[in-house]
Amino acid sequence: MRIMVIEDDATTGDYIAQGLREEGHTVDLIANGRDGLIQATTTDYEVLVIDRMLPELDGVSIVRTLRAARNLTPVIFLTSLGGVDDRIDGLKAGADDYLIKPFAFGELSARVAALSRRPQLKEQESLLKAGDLTMDLMRRKVVRNDLEIDLLPREFALLEHLLRRKGRVQTRTMLLEAVWDISFDPQTNVVETHISRLRAKVDKPFEIELIKTVRGSGYRIEE
Amino acid sequence: MTPLRDKFDALLRSTPLRLSIALVALFALVSLTSLGASFLIIRDSLDQTMRIDLQQDLAGFQAAPSANAVAQLITAEAAMTNPERRILSFTTADGRHFGNGFISPAGNGFRVMSLPEEEDLSEADYLTLSASLHDGRLTVSSSRAQIEDLGELFINILVLSLLPTTAIALAAGLVISRRSGRRIEAIGQTLEQLTQGNLAARVPKIAGRSDDLSMIAGQIDRMAGAQQSSVDALKQVSADIAHDLKTPIQRVSVLLSKAREMPALRADLVDVLDKAGQETDGIVATFQSLLQIAQIEGGSPKNRFKPVDLRALAATFAEVYEPAADERGHKLIADLPKEGTYVVSGEKGLLGQVLANLMENALRHTPAGSDITLSVGRSGEWIEVSVCDTGPGIPAEERRNVLRRLYRLEQSRTTPGNGLGLSLVAAIVEMHEGKLALEDNNPGLCVKIRFQSAETR
Repeated sequence: MRIMVIEDDATTGDYIAQGLREEGHTVDLIANGRDGLIQATTTDYEVLVIDRMLPELDGVSIVRTLRAARNLTPVIFLTSLGGVDDRIDGLKAGADDYLIKPFAFGELSARVAALSRRPQLKEQESLLKAGDLTMDLMRRKVVRNDLEIDLLPREFALLEHLLRRKGRVQTRTMLLEAVWDISFDPQTNVVETHISRLRAKVDKPFEIELIKTVRGSGYRIEE
Repeated sequence: MTPLRDKFDALLRSTPLRLSIALVALFALVSLTSLGASFLIIRDSLDQTMRIDLQQDLAGFQAAPSANAVAQLITAEAAMTNPERRILSFTTADGRHFGNGFISPAGNGFRVMSLPEEEDLSEADYLTLSASLHDGRLTVSSSRAQIEDLGELFINILVLSLLPTTAIALAAGLVISRRSGRRIEAIGQTLEQLTQGNLAARVPKIAGRSDDLSMIAGQIDRMAGAQQSSVDALKQVSADIAHDLKTPIQRVSVLLSKAREMPALRADLVDVLDKAGQETDGIVATFQSLLQIAQIEGGSPKNRFKPVDLRALAATFAEVYEPAADERGHKLIADLPKEGTYVVSGEKGLLGQVLANLMENALRHTPAGSDITLSVGRSGEWIEVSVCDTGPGIPAEERRNVLRRLYRLEQSRTTPGNGLGLSLVAAIVEMHEGKLALEDNNPGLCVKIRFQSAETR
């Protein structure tokens, strides 16, 4: 996947670019806003990672200009400003996601993956599968190895979210946003406890573990 | 209190109306004094004239040579005299009576007396002058009706002269107070908005006016302008600091991650790096909270508020925290209404932050086995959210302190946290014009928050 990172701080920029390259992406790192905008309009990227405060042209102006020119490439803002207003302003300008500095690389990587391959929600698809587990969306049933698993509604939603994004890491904050529609950074292990309850029903009675923990990032169901 | 009563009270408080009422009172006093003095002078002079007239009358009769002559004179004159104005009365030594009425005061000289009831002539008093004459008694009397009417006349004059003055002064007072009242109200509203954090508020200008009120309005506007620019400067500085400090912190955390991923690290070094990473996260969290509190207190614009159903939000957070509470051996009780809307106007993310902070505080600062109750209820136009626990609680004298930034109780020095959770809660509640109270749960702590219901705002 081709990604452009516009970040004026060399240490952070190098770290992001290197991390994304190690994951197999092609990364262009640009250090100022104006060059970034020119590059974004002349090259076809799949995701843009843009710092909000940049020399010469700030992040919000870049995104506004791109959107005005009908360039709909997904954008993740990186910002030092973490206020509610800043978040809303950023999303209003046309950014697709918003990360507050400093962030764990796993969070960025998971969000880049989520944006680049936005889930194609096929309405007619009513069966989700992973290994020997099948989720029947119509009948709200989960069967693994011919055994029916009884899930609470929110456990069902959590599993459905992970199944639909099979093979991709979902971070704790992404799960809170998607399953509970709340965005905050919990200081306690709230998401872990939900996952461990889900695992107790979905994984524990069976030999193979479906829900994997990705260290420093989040959770993933293997393809 | 009724709105009408409020309006009336507000009117009474207005300076111009008070001034005009005071002026009316002064006018009334002055008129009363001057008219009263005139009344006394005129009354005395009338009385004096009356006495001289009576003395002359008496002297005329005294000139008669005998009692018979007096009787004849009296009879003749009495026939032409209206007893309502003047009564002549002569009683001879042998008891015969002449005249147009009978008044016989004891003793000689002037007297003021009223007629006996049966002499149904006049209600007014009479001034009488009696003298002995030819062994009989002669009394000439004159009605004091004129003097008594004088009082009434003066009261009429007083009323007639005061009424228009009073009416004009009061009307002028009302008009001026209503006009300045509107402008004072505008100034008051502007100050209220400024207090609430809308530093862009200005007093509406009235063209072509340059009186004291306009001057005050101008001064308020200048003050607000100065305040606004200093707050803007402060915000800019905060944003700059945020950027300048967060970037190096980001670098530190990047370098730590890099070090952590190096191959063949010694196990104890891995521990050190993990701890350094956690400390960095702590710095970031503290920094983030401080910035957020500053930003919220800096008067964040409220026009982005949307309706938020606190019942639904509380239900979500109860669900999110339930397994975590369970894992620590706490019982989380969600005491939420089954139905109905509990909608307030606010920022969902921030209100969620309030619930999250309160739940995490309760989880962190209470021992295993404590109950934590999250409840939502309504009292009048207020919607109340509370998080109560059965833990050790906070001593009454410490409850104010825990709202201060970075303050930590002695008993919780060892538990994780930065002492900013409740300060952030307080700032968010304040921003939503809500009320925050820390109460004793006997045992434990009850944090109660009230917000005005969106329907009644």
